[in-house]
Amino acid sequence: MNIKTAYSLKTKPQDAISELKAQFKGFNPKLILFFASSAFPPDTVAEGMEDAFPGAETIGCTTAGELVTGKMLKNSIVAMGLNRKAVKDCKVEIIENLNKQSHKAFNAFQRHFKKPMKKMSPSEYVGIILVDGLSCKEELVMDKMGDLTNVTIIGGSAGDDLKFKKTHVFANGKSYPHSAVLALIKPATKFSFIKTQSFCALPQKLVVTKANEYAREVFEFNGKPAAKAYAEALGTTVEEATKRFMHNPVGLVFEGEPFVRSPQQFKGDSMVFYCSVKEGMELSLLESTDIITSTKKSLDEVKKELGNISGIVNFNCILRTLEMQQKGLCDEYGKLFADVPTVGFSTYGEEYIGHINQTATMLVFG
Amino acid sequence: MAGKIKQMIDTIINQRAKDNAMLAGVIKTKLMLKGIDPSKFTPQSPDDPAIISKLEALMKEL
Repeated sequence: MNIKTAYSLKTKPQDAISELKAQFKGFNPKLILFFASSAFPPDTVAEGMEDAFPGAETIGCTTAGELVTGKMLKNSIVAMGLNRKAVKDCKVEIIENLNKQSHKAFNAFQRHFKKPMKKMSPSEYVGIILVDGLSCKEELVMDKMGDLTNVTIIGGSAGDDLKFKKTHVFANGKSYPHSAVLALIKPATKFSFIKTQSFCALPQKLVVTKANEYAREVFEFNGKPAAKAYAEALGTTVEEATKRFMHNPVGLVFEGEPFVRSPQQFKGDSMVFYCSVKEGMELSLLESTDIITSTKKSLDEVKKELGNISGIVNFNCILRTLEMQQKGLCDEYGKLFADVPTVGFSTYGEEYIGHINQTATMLVFG
Repeated sequence: MAGKIKQMIDTIINQRAKDNAMLAGVIKTKLMLKGIDPSKFTPQSPDDPAIISKLEALMKEL
């Protein structure tokens, strides 16, 4: 087994880390991915994980809930170890100033792998990104990186257990707020991706006619106040429409695939989203379907594609987790991942090509 | 003037994706997320300076 997972529900960070280390006994990881509840002091967790796994690159972040093989957890630390037969090479870089270009990180990758990022094949390299989930900068970071390379960057926005105060990303022994950590990996096996969102597109269209994309605020849809236009599309009142955000977000639909933009709140007549929305975008009203069925379908498809799955990293939106909690589906969702070493967390946003909401993005190792 | 946007989009896709159809799809998705829907531009589409400016910035990275 070249990919192994572990978890701990111990409440003291050193006890949790010792328990994780014990579960990896005899395993020599090249890379450790770990996701920790914000209940743990971030500096202690970062340093402790680095000390526990000398010789491995360690990256992770704080969460709004954790996932590990077969389970959805809270207040835990979960970890995935990948040895040299799973990961040929990897390099971890921090992006501390999210307003600036990702060039510094990319320059470091190019020196390490001795290849320009533009020449790296997306079938040989993959990037895992963990971003501060409260920065509202995910779009900027993903957009710039997408311009610079064809390598797929996949990941999630760090959480803080729904406190919305401060999130942290971890890299090689240190903890960083307001930052992103990016690991560029050369897997030793085939790999693929899942982007699954349990929605179907409805016929109603909302064209963004006035917006502040940096504030993630839409002032007008179809030339009308956004809140009113959204409520009209739903066939209800503005007051009732606020109750429909989770069930009826909007999406940029491209070749049948929705890239979800989840409403956060009405602000007077405007709507604030968890994702940037640009003027001119034509959005479709979406309606939720069944998370378990659609996730299982996506997993079955990728199993067919790869033949064998040796590990999954699952960046699962907190809104999906909350919906599953409301419907009592968390155990069932966890069980979808019972047969494959899986690690992940409930995110404040997902990254795959761009920044999206109410989606699970997954890196799947063959 | 007309058609410059479609020409620029086609150049970006051809240069970045070469003959890789899957990669071409990813590049089109990236353009969509920038607010540029490749399917909406034809040789007759008017030259929108704001969109041309975004595409020029992207072409610089090539």
